[in-house]
Amino acid sequence: MKRLMTSKGLFGGTTLGVVAILVLLPLVLPSATLATEIVIFAMAALACNLLLGYGGLLSFGQGLFFGAGSYLSAIAMIHGGVGLIVALLIAIVAGALIATFVGMLSIRRTGIYFVMLTLAFSQTGYFLAYTLSKWTGGDNGLLDVPRPALGLFGFDLIDLKGADAYYVFVAVIFLAVYVGARRVIDSPFGSTLVAIRENESRASAVGFDTRHFKMLAFTLSGAVTALAGALYGMLINYVPLDNIAMAMSENIVIMTVIGGTGSLIGSLLGAGTLVLMGDFLSAIWPRWPLLLGVLLILIVVFLRGGLWGGVESLIGRLTRKDEA
Amino acid sequence: MSEPLLQTQGLALAYGGFRAVDGVNLSVKAGTIHSVIGPNGAGKTSLFHCLTGGRKPSEGSILFDGADITHRPAHARVGIGMARSFQVTSLFQNLPVKENLRLASQGCDGAKALTFWRSVAAGRAHIERAERVMERLGLTAKAGTAAGDLSHGQQRVLEVGMALCGEPKLLLLDEPTSGMGIDDIPIMTHLIAELGKDHTVMLIEHNMGIVMTISDTITVMSRGQILVEGKPEDVRADARVRAAYLGEAAA
Repeated sequence: MKRLMTSKGLFGGTTLGVVAILVLLPLVLPSATLATEIVIFAMAALACNLLLGYGGLLSFGQGLFFGAGSYLSAIAMIHGGVGLIVALLIAIVAGALIATFVGMLSIRRTGIYFVMLTLAFSQTGYFLAYTLSKWTGGDNGLLDVPRPALGLFGFDLIDLKGADAYYVFVAVIFLAVYVGARRVIDSPFGSTLVAIRENESRASAVGFDTRHFKMLAFTLSGAVTALAGALYGMLINYVPLDNIAMAMSENIVIMTVIGGTGSLIGSLLGAGTLVLMGDFLSAIWPRWPLLLGVLLILIVVFLRGGLWGGVESLIGRLTRKDEA
Repeated sequence: MSEPLLQTQGLALAYGGFRAVDGVNLSVKAGTIHSVIGPNGAGKTSLFHCLTGGRKPSEGSILFDGADITHRPAHARVGIGMARSFQVTSLFQNLPVKENLRLASQGCDGAKALTFWRSVAAGRAHIERAERVMERLGLTAKAGTAAGDLSHGQQRVLEVGMALCGEPKLLLLDEPTSGMGIDDIPIMTHLIAELGKDHTVMLIEHNMGIVMTISDTITVMSRGQILVEGKPEDVRADARVRAAYLGEAAA
């Protein structure tokens, strides 16, 4: 709530912070590709945050939505010859539909059973992708995923082949998603989602059909996650089977928790931390995920609000000192 | 004002072989404060659960405002004009008082609250209703305080306020004074009497003081059935009521 108060406007407050980070990322990092990867995963973490941080729903199905977005957009481009915008729209719609279906069945149970159901759907998706190797490439992954130019009505307007151009494209989409997500959080729907997380029986008693709200949270989350998946396939021109694997769901949840549940900008921090750790540490030490485990434990135990929670309390402490 | 707003016919709720509610014909007249009392285990709370939709009755039917609502889920009873408070305080503990009431106001819109493309600030009606209720409860000064940080007495008052935000025809209050200190009880008594002026109130209560002062009608339950029903003075004088409260031996 405090967060809403300090930064009322959709385009003020943390949105300005996000713009600053998006501008600085490619300048500070060694490559635009690395920056693009961070922003794509931040989008996936943001979508996970809507479920986990605001709805209190821990979903291990995020990898399914991400992978489905990657595969379906790539298959549409390779076999259907569709352009960039259509491919992304296909991912968004498919992600929304799959997530609605998964959500619809999973929210019939709560607690650990709910989590297990999302996990089961995720595993089903993985083995489906593995089995349909004619379409997905199976174990080898789907190769030669194109990255079409940004066009309108058949005219190519902007070529995205270059790493910098693609970064700008992804960053603009991320910004739009971020502003959209802030609006969602601040909407009647978002505030009700928080109410359901806080006290479901009370939310139901004042008249909310809580299942509809959880389902819509899944739909929105699935659409954004699949969009991120599609953008990722185009980034690396390849869809590895890992995109739809259990580890992808795990990574997305870990990014969300490390960044801070219940803060959208935290997702950007969480994704940045995980991607950068992977990039720098994997070159030095192949067992680097061990360090990730330690980091996760430290944050969960000592920094309840995640990295962004830590930053916030630091800012709070500094400004209070100024006043004194 | 003598039309029954809420009516049950042969209502029963069985847990296995045990009938917690056993054939209750209750009729709550519009514009009255109707209390249900009875010793522990009489079936008051089970009856309440059936009325609010928390439990599905095993037999019988519930009519509200002329419509059969026996099988309606809890959330779908708000839109037609029923609202409830909980015996154990059930608020959005970490959210401010005003947000609690705004959410409760938003609840009666049902599926319209699924709107995700507009800011909550656009829902002026909900904000204004929350402010009106806050004023009425005397909690305006606490608007920004998290519900969990209120005193217990204030939380009980807010609990009733949550039900009020639905602008209900019928207010169902489950032991509103439960756990309240002796000093706070008159505040609650006054609030309920005040609400009784423009709402129909059904009250489940242990505190005899409140029940006898503000009720128009009292229903006494015992062993899942209605024992006596009448005006407070009649109920007070009834020998069967004394027996039910004091045990068979005293009869």
